[in-house]
Amino acid sequence: MVAEAQNLKVSVWRGTGETGEFETFDVPSRESQTVLDVVSWIQQQADPTLTYRFACRVGMCGSCAMMVNGIPRWTCRTHVKKVSENNTLRIEPLRNMPVIKDLVADMDPFFDKWVSAEALHHPTSTRNDAITPVDATTPERQAADAGIECINCGICYAACDTVAGNPDYLGPAALQRAWTLLNDAKDGGRIAILDAVSGSGGCHNCHSMGSCTRYCPNELDPMSAIAGLKRETFRHALRRKRDA
Amino acid sequence: MRPEIDTHDTDILILGTGGAGLFAALHAQKAAPEGTKITIAVKGLIGKCGCTRMVQGGYNVALGGGDTVERHFMDTIRGGKWLPDQDMAWRLCETAVTRIQELENEIGCFFDRNPDGSLHQKAFAGQTADRTVHKGDLTGIEIISRLMEQVLARPVEKLQEHRAIGLIPTRDGRALAGVLMIDMRTGRFRFVRAKTVLMATGGGPTMYKYHTPSGDKTMDGLAMALRAGLPLRDMEMVQFHPTGLLAGDHTRMTGTVLEEGLRGAGGHLLNGAGHRFMFDYDPKGERATRDVVSRCIYDEMRRGNTSPNGGVYISMGHLGPEFVAEKFKGMVKRCADCGFDLAGGRVEVVPTAHYFMGGVVVDVDTRTALEGLYVAGEDAGGAHGSNRLGGNGVANSTVYGGIAGDVMGADIRSMPGLRDPDPDVLEAEIARACRPFGKTIGAVHPLRHKLQETMWDNAGVMRTADKLTKAMGQVADIGAELMETGVASDSLAFNLTWHDWLNMASLCDVSKVIAQAALARENSRGAHYREDFPEEGDLETSYFTVARQEGDSVAVTREPVKFTIVRPGGTILPEGEPETLVAAQ
Repeated sequence: MVAEAQNLKVSVWRGTGETGEFETFDVPSRESQTVLDVVSWIQQQADPTLTYRFACRVGMCGSCAMMVNGIPRWTCRTHVKKVSENNTLRIEPLRNMPVIKDLVADMDPFFDKWVSAEALHHPTSTRNDAITPVDATTPERQAADAGIECINCGICYAACDTVAGNPDYLGPAALQRAWTLLNDAKDGGRIAILDAVSGSGGCHNCHSMGSCTRYCPNELDPMSAIAGLKRETFRHALRRKRDA
Repeated sequence: MRPEIDTHDTDILILGTGGAGLFAALHAQKAAPEGTKITIAVKGLIGKCGCTRMVQGGYNVALGGGDTVERHFMDTIRGGKWLPDQDMAWRLCETAVTRIQELENEIGCFFDRNPDGSLHQKAFAGQTADRTVHKGDLTGIEIISRLMEQVLARPVEKLQEHRAIGLIPTRDGRALAGVLMIDMRTGRFRFVRAKTVLMATGGGPTMYKYHTPSGDKTMDGLAMALRAGLPLRDMEMVQFHPTGLLAGDHTRMTGTVLEEGLRGAGGHLLNGAGHRFMFDYDPKGERATRDVVSRCIYDEMRRGNTSPNGGVYISMGHLGPEFVAEKFKGMVKRCADCGFDLAGGRVEVVPTAHYFMGGVVVDVDTRTALEGLYVAGEDAGGAHGSNRLGGNGVANSTVYGGIAGDVMGADIRSMPGLRDPDPDVLEAEIARACRPFGKTIGAVHPLRHKLQETMWDNAGVMRTADKLTKAMGQVADIGAELMETGVASDSLAFNLTWHDWLNMASLCDVSKVIAQAALARENSRGAHYREDFPEEGDLETSYFTVARQEGDSVAVTREPVKFTIVRPGGTILPEGEPETLVAAQ
């Protein structure tokens, strides 16, 4: 395929930890080209020292998210034409996470919070039991299904201004997973989850600014999930008070 | 430049965090004595790299409704063209039942339901019952995300962005002492001793120009096993998926899978001239099996009847763009993100290397010829024979990963302590990895292109002795060129180009063996097709290939398939059982 005449001007964040600077590269523009292809081209053809992270190439693993012209995106599924402004791109590591090197963010804090939010299944039966029949049409199950396709890519977490202002805030992805579990009839961790998400870094920090929902590439709605958690934790607290 | 080396001890070391690695970690924790240290190491991030996450279709398991473990087993043996290790295939089908219950009940997966609340199961090609459990067409994400959060919450040591580069035996060569790794973030070597090691790094035939596996997959596991002298079986068996996206050499989108269901739903394959060619080859048209469709597309490509990028088209629009957009929502959106209209237009496709049936010879408990080393998932050979049925891949990795965890947890009870490595092997592996630092700096990427071209042209969908011989020569030349290609060593911290070099070294080593094993199999079975030997050969005297590194060369031998459960042409289904339980479409 013939390369198009105009090159892309691409500014890429280079550095480790807190220190670094943008470096600009001229990258040939192509008909079918994602932001990940641009980053790959730079490492393969222009500067072999550039570091970035990717795995699946198709929007399933959530390894390659970066800030593209200021917005967090899956680079593997973002077509250059949709995001370039006057043939320029500015690419940075995901916001709200420590930088390991260049475009690679350290996702550990994101996953540590996932665990802190009790965002994992609490079994009520075992491998020796038959599978529980579940009516998939109930409102509870549909509320659980609403967030189930999250691939933990960290985009909502990077987009969230509350995370930016409060590093202890659990963030939209972990809270959405907690909400999914609360609505899952098979989950036995209701109290543990409600306690985990109502603490100081919990759901009540959310100001409903909605960046999580706006930027989720899977079109999920963590903001509504967090609103659900706020209601449930409130009821839970009232019940506790009453029973005390 | 010679990076520093750290040493690190653990009891149970697991390489890989796909379905096999994560299950192994959970099972080992239950099976091992209290106080056992478990470490899981992965080339990328936990649960994010590797291929289980990319599973679309689902998980094969016989859960009644007429279906039985026996029927699942027979489909697996017939699908594998009588080459599978029957005991492994049996254990796979049998254990899948408790494993799916574990996934739902203990791990927390939620799979699609029927209106009565029971699990929904569908039939993939080659199955005689509605057997595949799934979560829409994103089954792998559900399985891996749930496993990942369970493992993250447990006291398992995590070594992320650590790639394994060498299996280091004891001085007497009888057992494994540990694994040499590179901490990719710092660039330092780390030698990890362990009483038991599970290798579950995944196969992933990314040495082909068109391939589906994730970018981190470069056959490191099999290359390490080869260097350690372990026998590898069925190395000629590379499964091609017929419809990979084709968008040019410059984009990582090329090769990624457009799902099987598109053809099943009535999609058309058109050549460059717009002619619907599949019926020229096969009365089933686009609904023929994966291997047949792949060969037909390849043949059209060889005849030059191609689309602009050198493939063919898949066309869905005649089914109604709204219907397609509704039924294949994820696939249509993915194509749209990448600039293609799958619902209404034509999208260029090409056969693409998908899964590797070959692997390390193991027993049904995942043990290998080397004490202390266990292998599960795509790194292990035998369960699928010459062809893997859709839905048997994730069943295999989760079943055998769990078994490996159970067995390692039990075996360490009789292992007195850690073993000391053979210092010469350790030194040789470090020197091997540091080789590019002493050479004139060159470009690694063009070599990968060359390798992928030659494997595609000469050891791919359709093979001949001449082409395979050519492939072996060219791969050897590319490997030799790689050995003289240098990489800058100013900073080794997260130096991707160094890792590209190491990836290429693994791919070259395994590519040679693929071509050599393909040359040794003088018939056509399952995924392996020889134009000069198109017949499947006598089933009673079926053999599988075994490749072993001997000195500087690899020897490939043939070993007879043992029909331990059923002989070719026979069945273990009760008399009078119908051929298939699937309603005709």
